[in-house]
Amino acid sequence: MKNILSIHQLSKRYGRIQAVNQLSLEVIKGQVFGILGPNGSGKTTTLGMVLDLIRPDSGRFQWFGEEPTKENRKRIGAVIETPNFFPYLSAAKNLEIVARIKDLDYSDIDRVLKTTGLYERRNDRFKTFSFGMKQRLAVASALLGNPDILILDEPTNGLDPQGIAQIRRLILQVAAGGITIILASHLLDEVQKICSHVAVLNKGNVLFSGAVNEVLAVSDSIELAAADMIALKAAIESHPSFKSVVEIDGLLLAVFSDVVRPGDINEFLQRRTINLTHLAERKRTLEQHFLELLKETQS
Amino acid sequence: MKLLSIELKKILPYKTFWIIIGLYFLFLALGIIMAEYIVNAMVDDVNRRLPIPLPHAVLFNFPDIWQNLTYFASIRFVLIFPAIIVIILITNEFTNKTVRQNIVNGMSRSEFIFSKLQVVFLLSFLISFILMIVILILGLIHSDSQSLSMILTRFSFVIGFFIQMFTYLIYAFFIAFVLRNTGLAIAIFTLYTIIIEPVVYFFLRAPFMWENKVYTYLPVNAVIRVVEYPSIPALKKLMNFELQDHVSLLACSIPMIYAAVMIAIVYLSFNKRDM
Repeated sequence: MKNILSIHQLSKRYGRIQAVNQLSLEVIKGQVFGILGPNGSGKTTTLGMVLDLIRPDSGRFQWFGEEPTKENRKRIGAVIETPNFFPYLSAAKNLEIVARIKDLDYSDIDRVLKTTGLYERRNDRFKTFSFGMKQRLAVASALLGNPDILILDEPTNGLDPQGIAQIRRLILQVAAGGITIILASHLLDEVQKICSHVAVLNKGNVLFSGAVNEVLAVSDSIELAAADMIALKAAIESHPSFKSVVEIDGLLLAVFSDVVRPGDINEFLQRRTINLTHLAERKRTLEQHFLELLKETQS
Repeated sequence: MKLLSIELKKILPYKTFWIIIGLYFLFLALGIIMAEYIVNAMVDDVNRRLPIPLPHAVLFNFPDIWQNLTYFASIRFVLIFPAIIVIILITNEFTNKTVRQNIVNGMSRSEFIFSKLQVVFLLSFLISFILMIVILILGLIHSDSQSLSMILTRFSFVIGFFIQMFTYLIYAFFIAFVLRNTGLAIAIFTLYTIIIEPVVYFFLRAPFMWENKVYTYLPVNAVIRVVEYPSIPALKKLMNFELQDHVSLLACSIPMIYAAVMIAIVYLSFNKRDM
């Protein structure tokens, strides 16, 4: 296992707002690492600090096991917030500037333009591009010279559905090539579709981090009602994989730590001589789940 | 050389750059063409009241032409054009956010500053060089005697002009890095050069007509004073005091000290600030 990025206790304060608070993370080679959090949770500030755009107040970080320098930044491909290019230069000329800074020769430019579907428009000026094309050019620029890691900060922000689909396909295609990726997003769905690992951020703190299927595991809830609600509640609480229960509008909403089917519950309760008047499975959306994760840690 | 080649990639295809450079040389050419006419109109006007008429001014023979052309090329209204170019080239990096991208891609902040200093140096050098060529051509056309020593007597004015141009463009570089906003930086820089400083100069000068020369240390004034007057014999007689006939090292050192301090401030603050 090889560490691509290690962040240790990084902090940044803007006036009264603690944008990033003692944040620590490890990104290992080959991971598609999602940084998930609502707007203002410190994702962009964190990426800004590890890319030398923002000076941290305290803490440190390492790239590829080394202290950060401009030389190891040349091995990183990054798309930060908005696509930043010279409006009066063509796509190809803009990429030539990037290649010169990264000490690459120009031979890779055509490849990344083809990968991102911009080859036909390579001689058109950047300002004539649609937003989706600008964003793809930013990805093309990040892909120049086959970097060891690709950083994408909200890559689908502001794109239309078609643009979103194009960018996601592109990321998956790149990820399939084995490159390590860090993807910052406020869209749970996006992280879940693309990432293998995730850190959930809120107010500058890491709430959870780990493999996506563990951290973002979705447990469904089951709605129940019976004539004797008190007995029902006591019975549910005695279930071996019981997790939590709340009463909403005369219904009990129970959550279990394992997969529990409504039929199993019915059988379990009948053995305790409770006859249900209502039984339904309720699928939670990922978005709801994400919001609940945030709420749990706030209270 | 790598940094300069990156800068050239940014600058050479930029139309605005060529338009402003073109305007600079256009104004300069118009100024040169009209200068002789205007000065002689003044001389004619004065001559009507003088018993012994002053000779007509000749601006373009050696060695006076060195001083005259560098003087016209460095008056406030002309000097402002290259400064605007420098401001636009630097603030563009902030408004397009390309400075962020450059750093992310592996340029250090010091390299970014250094690349802009190279642009300022190159621009000052090229303008001075072109002016030198123009002076040589115009001078050779207008002068009768063409001995080499006669031609090169006041060559120091071109070096003085280069120092004027370089230091003034460093002022522009400073404003651009501090304000980061094209319109604001151009407005404040132009306003300062053309209105604010001359007004301050006027008020400082009036009560201190004697030896105290605080006003000569104002930043833009210090630049202007490197080549303070044109060399026109008729004008010397009119103004009735000794005009400069060489570029003084002291006059050059004042704007150079300003420029050095500004570069230091940009270097220190840019390395600390968030992008």
